[in-house]
Amino acid sequence: MSVSEGTGGRGSRRIALVIGAGSVKCAAALGLQKVLDREGIGVDLVVGCSGGSIYATFIALGIDVQTAEEITRRLWTSELTKRRHYLSLLRAILPQIFPFRESFGLVDDRLILDRLQIAFGKRTFEDARIPLYLTATDFHNGEQVVFSSGKLVDAIRASIAIPYVFQPWTIDGRLFIDGFLTDPMPVGVAIKHGANVIVTLGFESAYQRRTTSVLRFAFQLSSIMSNNLLRANYAFHNLAHHAEILPIIPQFRESIHLFDTHKIPYVIEEGERAAEQQLPYLRRLLEAPP
Amino acid sequence: MVIEVEKRGHVTVVSVGGSVDGTTAGELTASLRGQVTGGNHRLVANLAGVDYTSSAGLRALLETVKEARQHGGDLRLAAVRPEVLRVLDLSGFTSILQVFPDVGSAVASFPA
Repeated sequence: MSVSEGTGGRGSRRIALVIGAGSVKCAAALGLQKVLDREGIGVDLVVGCSGGSIYATFIALGIDVQTAEEITRRLWTSELTKRRHYLSLLRAILPQIFPFRESFGLVDDRLILDRLQIAFGKRTFEDARIPLYLTATDFHNGEQVVFSSGKLVDAIRASIAIPYVFQPWTIDGRLFIDGFLTDPMPVGVAIKHGANVIVTLGFESAYQRRTTSVLRFAFQLSSIMSNNLLRANYAFHNLAHHAEILPIIPQFRESIHLFDTHKIPYVIEEGERAAEQQLPYLRRLLEAPP
Repeated sequence: MVIEVEKRGHVTVVSVGGSVDGTTAGELTASLRGQVTGGNHRLVANLAGVDYTSSAGLRALLETVKEARQHGGDLRLAAVRPEVLRVLDLSGFTSILQVFPDVGSAVASFPA
């Protein structure tokens, strides 16, 4: 079973799901999907950013929770970062010999690309049952870019181009980097496309306990900036618009690291629990006259 | 939604119970606005009984804060439950509103 396209008979209510950045924590979206399936609540559009773009795509394509969980286990493993992109390293430390290029990323991305191809193949946005919007950031001007057509693999790869880790991704001559750099939880995209009931699943980035390397230092800076960006954008969208925003905030008692795929069942469980907390209000809202 | 109003000296305490959301925010806004237009500009919202707030609820609170402050007063929050506080925190409210652990300290925070 999978989340269905928007249900009729609820007046002018237009429901969006927004799944924000959060690496493996984004699998909590599968818990949310379970709750919506069970309750028969359809959605009208799905928005995804960074890790959330993978789950937004599952939902929009109509892939059921169990299959999505199985794909996640195969897709998102620690092997992804094992193979270094040595040329980038050389370009960083010896730029006089190996001129630095903006396509910088410390990890060889061939494995993630192969796995995205296996998961989504040649499917395009047009294959989605529910309108799907995935966000990335234009590397050259810092603007948010919203993909709604073309190959899904391209859009997801652009959306998950984690700075320093994966190289920015080129589509039609434009260079894109991770969507979280413009908005880790792109509620604005849902508002722009007419949603007035917006269910959001977002995560704050964890801070480093110890900053023992240059990369960890860079991650810490990135977390500080993205968490503040998340709060600032969330506050703006909450207060500046008429849309109802229902935040689903899973509370993880265990720490979840980037590639803790063995914790996916737990992550899904917490997503389900957090979604259930919003359910009474979501039901009331959908039953109330518009 | 349950709304109860009591005077504690020069401060008006509005105790709210239930869910502050799109289906109830209008009632809360009307009640709080009624206090401000009635000359009660020093307000404490006792949120001990609030188990949920959505963006509509946040907008109701913000509207009252603006009006109260325009009249030289303020709206201060008391006894906010952790699940509601998380939403207030995420949406930046805790940086612009004063939040107190209980009604007594919120009332006492206003100058005599």
